[in-house]
Amino acid sequence: MQIVYHLIVFYLTCHLIWCLFREKKFWNQVSVALVLIMFLLRLFLIK
Amino acid sequence: MRNLKGNFVSALLLLFAIAICFLSALKFLSMQKKEAIFPSRGLTSRKMLSSYFPELKKTWGDTDVYLYEGQEKGGNLLILGGAHANEPAGFMSAVLLIENIQVSTGKIIIVPRANNSGFTHSQPQEGNPQRYSLESPWGRRHFRHGSRLTNPVHQWPDPSIYINPAGQKLSGADSRNLNRCYPGKKTGSLTEKIASGIMELIKKEKIDLALDLHEAAPEYPVINAIVFHENSADLAALALMELQIEGFEFRLEASPLNLRGLSHREWGDHAQIMAILLESANASHGRLKGKTSPALIVEGKDKNYTKAAKLGRLFVPYDEDGIPLKLRVARHLAAVKSILSNLEELYPEKRIEIKNMPSSSELKKVGIGPFLNPPN
Amino acid sequence: MVAIFVLLAMLLKLPIGISLAFSALAGSLLGGEGIGLRHLVEGSFGYFDTILIIVTAMIFMNVLQASGILDTITSILLRTFYKRKLALLLSVMALIMFPGMITGSSTAAVLTTGALVAPVLMKMGLSKVKTGALIAMGGILGMIAPPVNILVMIMGGGVDMPYAGLTLPLLIIVIPLAIVISLWLGYRDIKIIEYEKMKAILPPSYSKKYGFRLYLPLIVVLVLMLGQSVLPRIMPDIGIPAILLLGSLIGLGCGRPFNFFRTTQKAIQQSIPISCILVGVGMFIQIMTLTGARGWILISFLSLPSGLLYLGIATSMPLFGAVSAFGSASILGVPFILALIDKNAIITSSALSAVAGLGDLMPPTAMAGIFAAQVVGEANYFKVLRHCLMPALFQLIMGVAVLHFAPFLDKFI
Repeated sequence: MQIVYHLIVFYLTCHLIWCLFREKKFWNQVSVALVLIMFLLRLFLIK
Repeated sequence: MRNLKGNFVSALLLLFAIAICFLSALKFLSMQKKEAIFPSRGLTSRKMLSSYFPELKKTWGDTDVYLYEGQEKGGNLLILGGAHANEPAGFMSAVLLIENIQVSTGKIIIVPRANNSGFTHSQPQEGNPQRYSLESPWGRRHFRHGSRLTNPVHQWPDPSIYINPAGQKLSGADSRNLNRCYPGKKTGSLTEKIASGIMELIKKEKIDLALDLHEAAPEYPVINAIVFHENSADLAALALMELQIEGFEFRLEASPLNLRGLSHREWGDHAQIMAILLESANASHGRLKGKTSPALIVEGKDKNYTKAAKLGRLFVPYDEDGIPLKLRVARHLAAVKSILSNLEELYPEKRIEIKNMPSSSELKKVGIGPFLNPPN
Repeated sequence: MVAIFVLLAMLLKLPIGISLAFSALAGSLLGGEGIGLRHLVEGSFGYFDTILIIVTAMIFMNVLQASGILDTITSILLRTFYKRKLALLLSVMALIMFPGMITGSSTAAVLTTGALVAPVLMKMGLSKVKTGALIAMGGILGMIAPPVNILVMIMGGGVDMPYAGLTLPLLIIVIPLAIVISLWLGYRDIKIIEYEKMKAILPPSYSKKYGFRLYLPLIVVLVLMLGQSVLPRIMPDIGIPAILLLGSLIGLGCGRPFNFFRTTQKAIQQSIPISCILVGVGMFIQIMTLTGARGWILISFLSLPSGLLYLGIATSMPLFGAVSAFGSASILGVPFILALIDKNAIITSSALSAVAGLGDLMPPTAMAGIFAAQVVGEANYFKVLRHCLMPALFQLIMGVAVLHFAPFLDKFI
């Protein structure tokens, strides 16, 4: 099951990065970046 | 042009996120480095838990096991510290025993970090420090302050509801709580495997008596307590009397029959051994705690708890002096000592004799540091 | 910290999540902890699992819309209920509550069956905001209803109370509330309509075109959710995010074709504001705990004279839900159970869960309110929350009443 969740997090992380580049408003971009931090740390199994 | 500018900002923010990840990762990963323990000369051998249950090999659940065997045959005792890595008195009592004792009769096995994975992270939103330190004659020694639960990076995801190996329904996060996972499951989650490993150790080493050292918040009812399986009712009652004579107040709690998965219940039921759990009161553990710092862990002084005591909300006496770590460790070691002396009283053939056990009165006076060994 | 938050959010109009993050940072600096980067990031991880559920639930909801399942179900419900007001309201309430009952999450309820029934209610004359309120309340009641009440599990974990024997007390609380609240919000406004009129507003049904497989995503999600709570030993517990994502993937081949990547992208965009709020709240709590502010708030409530303790419970638990209902159950629920230790813990925790559950209506997180507003297409979620006020009051009174009469109820349970 851990692999499945790893894949889910990978898929969502890619979308978050994509979203970061598509978002036009600055503060929305910052919001995406804040959420992205968590996804990256979990993706690399750090936290 | 607009697009290019937007992409530039996005790229900068991506770099910013990566930089924060990198900087915080350094802190998070630093928790994976084990603090050194310097055993006494009395140590006869050192193993890993995986030598009893090979499934644990190369996992974060594998952990050090210290064996002290006497010349004469006697009883076999298991002491478990660090089942919850945020309860330092349990871990520190185990460390003090490892760094000091010699066993002449019987056998003592000590597991200081029962849930090794729990020591590698801190619980979100508890604001806990990653480490605390103690002054010893050989310089400051640093110890990790971990979490009650297995690291989610090592066991993930939590189920929505956790049904433990003993059939108890619990909240999902408890699937990572070692003291809810007994008697373990050999094909189960990492935490259930650790519990299995400990059960295997109990069986293979023919343990007679096992002690699980914990701490709890001062507002929690089962506190300053000796929780016993019905197998060890006499032993616990006699030990309590002895402790009271020495001036330590403890409350005696029978292991509840309907709360399954805890060490004192399942060790007794599944391995038919005498099983006892000890609790001391730790302010840094509680929900009412004030400013959270290494000092709160070591000195145990907290204004909020002093106030709560005055309001009658606590189950232990608590004043301006707090309940320091040295006192919590002294309580644990005093309980271990009196349990052992009464074990001999009740079952002479299961006698266990220890030399160089740090005395609780000395501990209270000089603190933990002088009992720590020099690095070797 | 609170002052800085108000300044950033209200005066500078920064997004709430970011305002919370900045005020947490300021709190850390003022508390003498430096930037406290590790603490800030660690705090946000308290909601990582919640964020996964929100994002995947949002994907599932978008898949239901894109594949035509939503339209089809709306059309079926309309055909069945266009003449029966009472039956409509009660069955809609039960439908909304169902996913909440089996997952313990109000978000799962609001974003799945809540989204299914919203168009029906609106077509039958209920205003957008009242529909939102009904869905939000249904989600919260579902979260409290048995068999799975995570709030009680969290509180039980803190006082070593086994999760058993809760069905009856929870039903005593939830059933009257479900009936009263659905009638209160809907009975006056919902209109019985003529067959012809109903035909005119009927959305297209894809049931003939795709047949049974159209319902497959819904069935898979419901069976997996139900299975892990009813037959836990047989059904694997793969967790809500995996269930919802699996349902979404199945939806790909079951109805109207759609682009899965674009649907995910839309879902991510919709869930960013609430995810960012949760990240900010996580940081905020961590710093509050670190600096001792959390303990100070708690001890202040526990210092209330015992007559005022109920008042403390009734105000602090929903207010603290601004952080999250689960946080409220853990941080406040456990000390309150201990303060009421002379009463039956099963009844106490059931009642407290009804009070804590209201936290999902408390801004800035207001998860039930925000998602319900999104489901009905209302931009300002405060309008939805306004209509939740009376129902929430009913629930609060019910919770406190059960607490007060716990010794009496104890004789029957």
